[in-house]
Amino acid sequence: MSAKEPIDLKQDRRQWLKTSATALGAAVLPLTLPSTEILAGEAQSAAAPAAGSPAAVSAEAKSVARFFTPGQHALIEELSETILPADSHSGGAKTAKVADYIEQMVGESTDDQQKALWREGLRLVDSMSQHYNGKSFVEASTEEKIAVIQVLSDNAELTEIPEVKFFHELKRLTVRGYYTSKTGIHDDLEYKGNRVLMEYVGCGDPTPPTT
Amino acid sequence: MAEPEADLSKKYDAVIIGSGAAGGMAAHVLTTHGLEVLLLEAGKKLNIEQELRSMEWPYDNAHRGGLPPGSYSLNHNEYTIRRPPFGPGFEKSKNLYSYIGSSDYTKNIVVNERENPYTGTNYAWVRARCLGGKTNIWGRLALRLSDYDFKARDRDGFGENWPISYSDIAPYYDKVDLYLGITGVKENLPYLPDSIFQRPTKLNCAEVTLKQGIQKMGRVLTQYRAGVTSDGLKHNKYRSRCLSRGACERKGGCDIHAAFDSPTGLIYPALDTGNLTLRTNSTVREITVDPVTGKASGVHFTDSQTMKDYTVGAKVVIVAASTLESARLLLLSKSRLYPNGLANSSGHVGHNFCEHVMGPHVAGQATDLVGKPSTLDDGRPGGFYLTRFRNLAEKHPKFIRGYGFEGGSGSGMFPPGTDSSGFGASFKEEIRKNQGSYIAMGAFGEVLARYENFVDLDPVVKDKWGIPALRFHYKFGENEHNMAKDMKETAQEMFEAAGLKIIYVSDRVLTEGWSIHELGTARMGNDPKTSVLNQFQQSHDVKNLFVVDGSAFVSASCQNPTWTIMALCWRSCDYLADQLAKNEL
Repeated sequence: MSAKEPIDLKQDRRQWLKTSATALGAAVLPLTLPSTEILAGEAQSAAAPAAGSPAAVSAEAKSVARFFTPGQHALIEELSETILPADSHSGGAKTAKVADYIEQMVGESTDDQQKALWREGLRLVDSMSQHYNGKSFVEASTEEKIAVIQVLSDNAELTEIPEVKFFHELKRLTVRGYYTSKTGIHDDLEYKGNRVLMEYVGCGDPTPPTT
Repeated sequence: MAEPEADLSKKYDAVIIGSGAAGGMAAHVLTTHGLEVLLLEAGKKLNIEQELRSMEWPYDNAHRGGLPPGSYSLNHNEYTIRRPPFGPGFEKSKNLYSYIGSSDYTKNIVVNERENPYTGTNYAWVRARCLGGKTNIWGRLALRLSDYDFKARDRDGFGENWPISYSDIAPYYDKVDLYLGITGVKENLPYLPDSIFQRPTKLNCAEVTLKQGIQKMGRVLTQYRAGVTSDGLKHNKYRSRCLSRGACERKGGCDIHAAFDSPTGLIYPALDTGNLTLRTNSTVREITVDPVTGKASGVHFTDSQTMKDYTVGAKVVIVAASTLESARLLLLSKSRLYPNGLANSSGHVGHNFCEHVMGPHVAGQATDLVGKPSTLDDGRPGGFYLTRFRNLAEKHPKFIRGYGFEGGSGSGMFPPGTDSSGFGASFKEEIRKNQGSYIAMGAFGEVLARYENFVDLDPVVKDKWGIPALRFHYKFGENEHNMAKDMKETAQEMFEAAGLKIIYVSDRVLTEGWSIHELGTARMGNDPKTSVLNQFQQSHDVKNLFVVDGSAFVSASCQNPTWTIMALCWRSCDYLADQLAKNEL
């Protein structure tokens, strides 16, 4: 997929919603669902890892603190890495273990709507990948992953659409997780503060004296 | 935590209600005069260093510095669309905090909104019930007022003059500077008098660009005048000098107490005199009155945790519970002698409520800094203050009074620009390249003190201790909205003049209360018919009752109030001690 024109998300989403609904054997989802319905629907998909999740994730890794299935966790790793990837300068979201942070934040949350948004969003993004790339998000190439997220980013103002709402939430927690990590603070930003200084340097003196 | 037992059977020289900037200062001054003082604080004594943890890395914190599950802090949108009380609609959150309680470092310092409801018009009321109150996390900008403020009525005809002039309070500003420490640079501005400054902080490169860019417009940008000791204080063993560690903006509080806070700056030294008794967890319900003399006799309070009731007697009662809580307490203290509340024969208690309007701001970039290596900009208690320029020599056609800007620039621990659009490698690189180049400033403007803006007691809603809640009747007016438009225009014009690239500029006004500078609900004045207190913050009606916090302000000015609160309080307590010695109270 290499469209020069931005994708019309409202038009296109009918396609992957059909795919998604078929896969789940459920009716086409309305734009907004009561959170309880989504949660009830998701109990099934959470029990069976999504097609395409790496078989390498063992059942033992699923501790009590786990909120997402191993498949969902792997999907979050790939999504967050697509938002903030490794480059020649520094590691990306995977190095910073952003998916663990997101799992903790969402898992501990008392906001059922936020939990539902994550489960729903993960499914929708995977359906988008099936639609555009013919394979799950995790299995897609880097370019194919970027293409899917590009659709959401190009339509970022359509916040009433669940997958767009999810994109904002994914980006928010990825950014927060990354830039509060050792990788983000020290490797990427090369932050120099949070230490005792004899005096703040100001404009002009590049070498701060430290104690 | 068990509080030390306070002897409630004896009659103290003075009982002080509240332990923030005003209550702490009253305790300091009166104990220095040798008076026996009881200080009551509604909240608990926190292990404050453990709360603030100024140098903790986010990745070493269980929630990266955010709130734990089950806790929630209100955001701007919620303050705008919802009316208080807050609680309904937030049932999922056991702990509900004001917008300041949004971090793991501040959450225990501010109150749980659920236990402390208020009603009426939209208002973001930030309260800190703990020893030291809001001084534990204050913004530290420490400015003096001038006769442009004290005599503002003479200049534009609005409101009332203060019953004092700059020359009356100047010696007390000096005392506060020397006792607590303040950093800054002398500018010789008649409308913003200099303090006795310790070693100043420095401006960084984008700030220097702005300073130079606006000089030709006759406008002044100066280093943040922070209530922080940069050289240290030989007379205070509880406070370290500032070590430029840089957590000031991120976390608010300072665990080495270089930034002034009331406990280490005032209360612990007062305890060391042996003249101070401190009782925390003491929620005062009423100031009691001697029905024969009409004078204040002491206070009636409830232990905030055990819910047991107590009374204690004192020769003088000093109210320092914060502007709105002090007004609430006066209104609560109704009796046969004082049916409208104590000290309220004028009917002005709760009225003339004023503060600072904020919201309009500009964010931009010094493009010459884009792509430069990361710099260490994060080591100051604040960036800069851009001083007032409106209605000094010339009159603005659309509004009276003035405003100033607080701002800063440079690299920080969490980068700016993460809310920009996009994702991926270019998004990440842009954040990295731009991080040190951003500069932003926001305005603080004077809200006019109007009788129509007031608080009273809610007839129905009560707090956790069964005390009637405060009800707000408060709105910004035309002068504030016209001023806000001008704030945006001048912010833009100054960034343009300095050659800074503008990213965002806004005239959106934040919800009433956002500045946390509420003032004026028991104003001073020479006329007992139109004011609550005289120039020594002494009640016109009850001469052994003093109200020594921001409620005494006659007008808000546009300068941050804490330093003035403390200077006024020092002056009033000197007078109080003198009067008490002469048996005049």
